[in-house]
Amino acid sequence: MISETHKWKVAQRASPQKLSSSKGIFQLGRGILIGTILPIILLIAWEIAARTGLLAAHLLPAPTIILEKIISMYQDGSLFGHISITLTRVFFGFAIGTGAAVVIGAIVGYSKTAERLLDPLFQAIRSIPSLAWVPLFILWMGIGEHSKISLIAVGVFFPVYLNIVAGIQGVDRKLIEVGRIYQLTPYQLTKRIILPAALPSFITGMRSGLGLGWMFVVAAELMGASEGLGYLLVVGQNTYSPDTVIASILLFAVLGKLTDALLKWIEHRSLQWQDSITNQG
Amino acid sequence: MLNVKKLKRTFNQDTAGFQDVNLSVKEGEIIGILGTSGCGKSTLLRVLSGLDQHYEGTISIENSNNQIGMMFQEPRLLPWLSVKKNISFGLEKEERNTDKYKTYLDLVGLADFENHYPKDLSGGMAQRTAIARALITEPEILLLDEPFSALDAFTKMQLQDLLISIWQKKKTTMILVTHDIDEALYLCDRIFILKGQPGEVYSEVSVEKPKPRTRGDTYLSKQKAHILNLLNVEKKAAGEQK
Repeated sequence: MISETHKWKVAQRASPQKLSSSKGIFQLGRGILIGTILPIILLIAWEIAARTGLLAAHLLPAPTIILEKIISMYQDGSLFGHISITLTRVFFGFAIGTGAAVVIGAIVGYSKTAERLLDPLFQAIRSIPSLAWVPLFILWMGIGEHSKISLIAVGVFFPVYLNIVAGIQGVDRKLIEVGRIYQLTPYQLTKRIILPAALPSFITGMRSGLGLGWMFVVAAELMGASEGLGYLLVVGQNTYSPDTVIASILLFAVLGKLTDALLKWIEHRSLQWQDSITNQG
Repeated sequence: MLNVKKLKRTFNQDTAGFQDVNLSVKEGEIIGILGTSGCGKSTLLRVLSGLDQHYEGTISIENSNNQIGMMFQEPRLLPWLSVKKNISFGLEKEERNTDKYKTYLDLVGLADFENHYPKDLSGGMAQRTAIARALITEPEILLLDEPFSALDAFTKMQLQDLLISIWQKKKTTMILVTHDIDEALYLCDRIFILKGQPGEVYSEVSVEKPKPRTRGDTYLSKQKAHILNLLNVEKKAAGEQK
């Protein structure tokens, strides 16, 4: 017999793909190997095309030149500065956005009155394309760190908020009744039943929030910065050096992937109890 | 130890639920509530457990700190807790991290599964865990809402025997809601038969046979025929009216 809670969990968690749990290193290695075949072929073809002059080097330089660019930035010490300032912005924006979403999402998810009062407002604000905030934030806070972090926080807020509200409202009434049988106080009920039950949804929200956070850090750094990977993009464009632009794009890809892998790992660690396809065996 | 007077809880303009229920339960008794579906027997249990507070009438529980345990038709385990943590769920914080769960884990025969998550348990094992969770707080009264109705016949018999062996050790007072006449006769000292919409206590049947009983006992068969007869009266009456 499968309990209804399980069915609900499976249905709710069907969307995001997760780390394969116990497939073994061998299979994992084979998966990575298969996944890298196509990129490697493309890279080689690109390198050859650039070397033979098939691709104009001033538009699309060879991969080795881009790599050299990254290495030279590493050697002169500027790489670390750019990466760390961008990471710091994403981190604070993400932390503030998630924190606000947890508090407000918990209140809206928990209380019907708060939902009627607050949710229409947030839904309206959500429909504003977040980049439209850029000029306003610059007017309010200048082009310093405050406006950048605020922009990222706004971007992160909504997916986390929506998922928390949905997660809390989707908690199985039958489990809440178990808590009531043991006469839990509202605080205990939240801590011991509602939050753990809403956790899968919360983590899904964090992962989509992080994706948006990376998108918004680019926007924030394009709008005026003196350091950071987004700033490198602007510099590359203005100095007509595609190697800098592509190097920066590459670094964004790597950082985005790494931070998402970190959340994925946390997700995997904290949701081992789930009865889902990836947790089998 | 439990006294219920003129208890009433109805829905949909008095067409569902139950009314005019009077019960008194003595310590250590196993009481059965038997009835066809829709006669309000689960509602009665929800009212007694405190989950439903919109009732009329009085419920009084003697000499207790109002500790009530409840088992549902589904195990209702918390999927993010391991078996041992699920069992300890109802304990106070200080006791939750002790070894107290071990006694109950052994009692329900799940000693090797303490670290499993509910997703890895079979239906019967999950329901055993739920029994352990309901018992660990040592409730004065254990309410059981069709606890075995979703299990296969063999698992069901095993768990009925488990319940009897637990009763022999702990003498827990139990109220069992069921639609299975054999189950009621096998486990209960007294059976209340609920009938009608809203349901009322139609009859009370005593099973004067010491537990544990044998399945298919002639006395039990006789009682079963009696109960079937009681439950069928209305059907016959309805048939005559047509």
